[in-house]
Amino acid sequence: MDGPTTVLRLLERLELNPESVLVIRGDTLVTRDARLADDDTVEIRPVTSGGAG
Amino acid sequence: MKCRVCRGPAVIDVRRHNAGFCREHFLKHCRDQVRRALDDLAMVEPGERVLVAVSGGKDSLALWEILGHLGVPADGLYLGLGIGGYSQRSAAATREFARSRGLTLHEVDLPGDHGFDVPAAAAATRRAPCGACGLSKRHLFNATARQLRYDVVATGHNLDDEAAVLLGNVLRWETGYLGRQCPVLPAAPGFARKVKPLYRLGERETAAYCILTGIDYIVEECPMAEGNRHLGMKAMLDGLEDRSPGTKAAFLFGFLERGAPRFAEASATERDALGACAECGSPTTGAVCAFCRLRERAAGPGRATEKTASEPDGAAILEPDGVAVPEPGAVAVTLRSAATPASG
Repeated sequence: MDGPTTVLRLLERLELNPESVLVIRGDTLVTRDARLADDDTVEIRPVTSGGAG
Repeated sequence: MKCRVCRGPAVIDVRRHNAGFCREHFLKHCRDQVRRALDDLAMVEPGERVLVAVSGGKDSLALWEILGHLGVPADGLYLGLGIGGYSQRSAAATREFARSRGLTLHEVDLPGDHGFDVPAAAAATRRAPCGACGLSKRHLFNATARQLRYDVVATGHNLDDEAAVLLGNVLRWETGYLGRQCPVLPAAPGFARKVKPLYRLGERETAAYCILTGIDYIVEECPMAEGNRHLGMKAMLDGLEDRSPGTKAAFLFGFLERGAPRFAEASATERDALGACAECGSPTTGAVCAFCRLRERAAGPGRATEKTASEPDGAAILEPDGVAVPEPGAVAVTLRSAATPASG
């Protein structure tokens, strides 16, 4: 995916709800307004669990 | 985005607080929320023994870590559910967490100790696996706590879990469940106190807590939970939250403050009907508790696959808890417990 862009725009393009995921760049988290460059690699990690106990 | 506290670069935004946090102040935020839950609702009294139900997932491991950080000593209980490789990997994550921190972990194995697993229970009852799984967890966490003399069972239910359960119960007007949906269920004869110290934290926060503290939790979702009703409720609430941050917290906290007391009577009515299970002594509304009935159907010699007229659809998962009943006898739970000293 082409950059530069922001985390929020990336999630919108992927049709992901920002409330349901975390975005990890390197070894830390990035906020939705963080800018992503062309060569950045990020992990989008879902946070929703299905068990209700 | 900047940290609300120190104005340094933020690593996470928490929109319901209209705030960003750096790593240090986000971890403090999470611990403060748990401290507030413990204190406001008197979840654990000094000197009480606490058993944390751990699954290897983000919530239960974050809870165990935070309790230790807050000076609330707790042992862990892992329940093996027999869900193939998923159970093996979740057990490995839990054991490694306990080993590396020198924590005591108890284990109960559903197939090894009770003769059936969650997939078999789902097949035998022709019900969704999450019903049999939740029933087994509630029964065995309580039974084990009583057997090992723990005062409190702490679970990793978070704000999202509680809001999703609340939405499901409201949509069906389950007044009995609404009457006892509370982050604390008091101890009663046959029941250890049950507490949910993470109810003020969303699961996005518990996941972030794990990532930022290096907790190696099992990220994959339970394969049997895919598409379940609980996930559907969460997706709807996440949609609302994205449009209107703070909706989930307002829904849950508003209910606890202003709605729950209105349903207390419905819960109390069910409480009057509880007795002791003839098989294991656990509290139950019938002669034999729902767990023992489930075990009979899933593992018994005459393994039933048909519903009977006397056991209507839904009866197997309606296991009340947290209410007063006569003192039952001892329960049978096989345990493999180990104190796991930290390496180094």
